[in-house]
Formats: sequence, structure tokens, C-alpha cells
Amino acid sequence: MQGARAPSRATGLFVVLCAATLLLAMLSQQPWAAGARGMAKSALAPVESAMTSFAAHVDRVAAVLGDVSSLRAENQRLRAADEQLRRQIVELQASAKENAALRQALNFQKSSGHRMVAANVIGRGPDGFSRTMEIDRGTADGVQPGMVVATGAGLFGRVRESGPHAAIVQTLGDPQSRVNVYLSTSNLQGTLFGGPTSLQMEIQHMLGVSASNGEWAITSGVGGGYPRGLVVGEVASVMHRDTSTTDQAQVAWVNDPASTTFVLVITDFLPS
Amino acid sequence: MRRVAGLGLMSAAALAQATWAPRFEVGGAFPNLVLAAVVGLSWTLGTRSALVWAVAGGLLLDLTSSGPIGPHALALLPGVYVSGFWIRNLEHPNAVHVALTAAVCTVLYSAVLVLADDLLGTALPAPGAAVQLTIAAAIYNAVLAPFAYELVRRLQSLVRAAPQTS
Repeated sequence: MQGARAPSRATGLFVVLCAATLLLAMLSQQPWAAGARGMAKSALAPVESAMTSFAAHVDRVAAVLGDVSSLRAENQRLRAADEQLRRQIVELQASAKENAALRQALNFQKSSGHRMVAANVIGRGPDGFSRTMEIDRGTADGVQPGMVVATGAGLFGRVRESGPHAAIVQTLGDPQSRVNVYLSTSNLQGTLFGGPTSLQMEIQHMLGVSASNGEWAITSGVGGGYPRGLVVGEVASVMHRDTSTTDQAQVAWVNDPASTTFVLVITDFLPS
Repeated sequence: MRRVAGLGLMSAAALAQATWAPRFEVGGAFPNLVLAAVVGLSWTLGTRSALVWAVAGGLLLDLTSSGPIGPHALALLPGVYVSGFWIRNLEHPNAVHVALTAAVCTVLYSAVLVLADDLLGTALPAPGAAVQLTIAAAIYNAVLAPFAYELVRRLQSLVRAAPQTS
């Protein structure tokens, strides 16, 4: 049982710690603290990188174990050979998937005409409110805040902070993310913003034209925030609103942040 | 030894939070391992120690997230402080007590995080989405917290049993 003075002592400590963390947050947000903040965040990058690759290893082992449990009914003699073969298949499938993604990224890099830096995803934002990812490239590799991040499939997000050897990317799923896009068939313009489960789009009305499912949302370049022509996603559903000047659509993002392991940072385009 | 064990626990929880936890996302929410560890520490070490460890764990989370350093540390504090009033008056907690503490801590954590984001002008989710994510995370953390409490208790027993170095 704690003493009678415990509540007041805890209150004092609570107030001091709240004030200290709030002050730290306000100070570390200042532009002059960006360098120190980036360096502090970079310090954890090597450990995060090691843990992420370890997690990928665990995933492969778990996949093998899952397969083994489903094969228990088969005879004892074949089990060892089967396990080995299945492990090889899983590893080959993983390699093939990675090869395909790398090839897609290489094609994207060649066709886009932009200069790019490839980076591995080493961490993800710790809370569900902000959708960010940490990559293993930073200012030492030419990665600067504001640079656009893509994958072979299309637009992924933007570099928000950069340390010497790591950077934090704000993905399109982040609530603060905004991208001006046009639709491939109807040519309607709109703004796409992030959400916890899917991307939302506000489509501007145009007389006699309406958006439809299956259209591609492509960056329009309006506002100078993103280069024109990057694929963002496919319109999954449209909600027409007669009383509003805009329609609302849900867009299926071409990228799946949960399975994205490497990205391309476009280093020769900065928002105007 | 106690400090080393605490720092090890917090570092492991924060790193796992930034690398593994998002893999277990359900409906946009995923478990907060640091919060679960802090709840476990509140019930085993008391409010004052848990407040200090909450700041340590929160700062580690801040290092893995975007924006300023401090909001996660700040967001973890109110839950620990408020649950302290209950913890002080209950000698033998069961899994339900620990789970309820985690749920309350998650709600306060989310509310303070959103308020801090608003105050500092960083990413702010839509109110509806924030409520939905908070409820899902509260359930998730409530399920996880009793296991974290058990882990912290066992870790505390190990630390006590280890030879003390002065």
C-alpha cells in the first residue's frame, strides 16, 4: 500500500512531465531544430531495419509452419521432403514477387524520365492516426523533405522529414495528405485525400459529365505539389450529390502500404 | 538492473510497435505495445515509476513517427495518472482490471494525441475516423494488456531474483 503523500507526489511529477514533454514538442517543431530532430530519428534506423528484415524472415518461417500444419494428414515418410519443397516454393515465390516488383520499379524509373533513389521501408508510424513510413535513405543520399515517393505501381506519398540516413514518408493514406488528380475517362478534376481504410476523392461537377467506377485517378500536376501523370488508384465507388458542387468517390489505391517493402524517391522534383 | 530491464522492455516495445504491430492492423487500428507495457508497469511498479517509463516509451515512439518529438510521450501520461487513482486502492488486480485500465489509457492517449496534433498543427484525422480508430485500438489494447501485465510481472520477478550490483 502506498503512502498518503503518494497522490500529491504523483500529481507533481505528472504536471512536471506534461510540461516538459509539451515544451520539448514545441521546441523540436521549430525549423531550427529540424536537423537535430532528423539526426535523432536516424539513430534508430539501423535497429528498425534489422527488426523489419527479421520480421520478414519470421513471416516466411510462419508461412512454412502454416503449410506444415495443413499437411499433417499426409504420411510420415513424405512430410520431411514436402516441408523442404514447400519452403523452397515459399522462398521462390517471395523472390519472384520481389523480382517482379523490382522490374516494375525499374520500368517505372526508365519510363518516367525522373531521377530516383530506391529505398527500403524500415518502419511504420506507431499510431493509427498518421499514416507514415520510415525509409533507409536520407539527406546523405540526396533525399530531402517535400520529395515525391512512388513505387512501380504509382504514387505512394511524400518525404516529410529527412535525417542523414533515414527519412519519414507521409503516405497518401495520411489524413493530411492531399493530391490533385484527374480521372482517366471523364477527365473530371478533383482532390484526393487520405483516410484510415481507403482514399477519398472530391470530384468537381461538370455539366453533362459524371465519374464512373473503374476510372483511373492520375495526378494532374495542378498546384505543383506532384508531377503530372502518376497513377494513384482506381475509382471503386462514386456517390453523386445533387445538392453539392462536388461528388464523392472512394478510390482503391494502387499501393498497399502493408505489403510495400521498397519505394522510389523522385529526387529531381520538388513542390513549387 | 531495474532500469536496464525497463529500458530494454520499452525499447523492444517501441521498435516492435514501429516494425511489427502495423502487420496486425484490423479496421485501421493496430495494438499499441508501448501503451500495453506502460499499463503493465503501472500495476506492478506504481504510478510514479510508470509515469517516468511512459515518457521514455513515448519518446521512443516519437523517434519513429513524423513530426515533433514529445506528443506520444505527452499522450501516454494522462492515462497512467488517471488510472493511478484506481491502482492505488486495489491490491490484487485481475485481467479485467488491467484490460479496463488499458482501454481507458487508450481513449485518453488518443484524445491527447489528437489535441496535441491540433495544437502543433500536424496530421489530424477526421473526427469520425478518430473515434472509430480509438474504439478499435481500445479493444485491441484491452485484449493485449493482461498479457503485457503478466510479462512485466515475470520480468520484475527475474530482476528481483538477479544479484544486485551497486
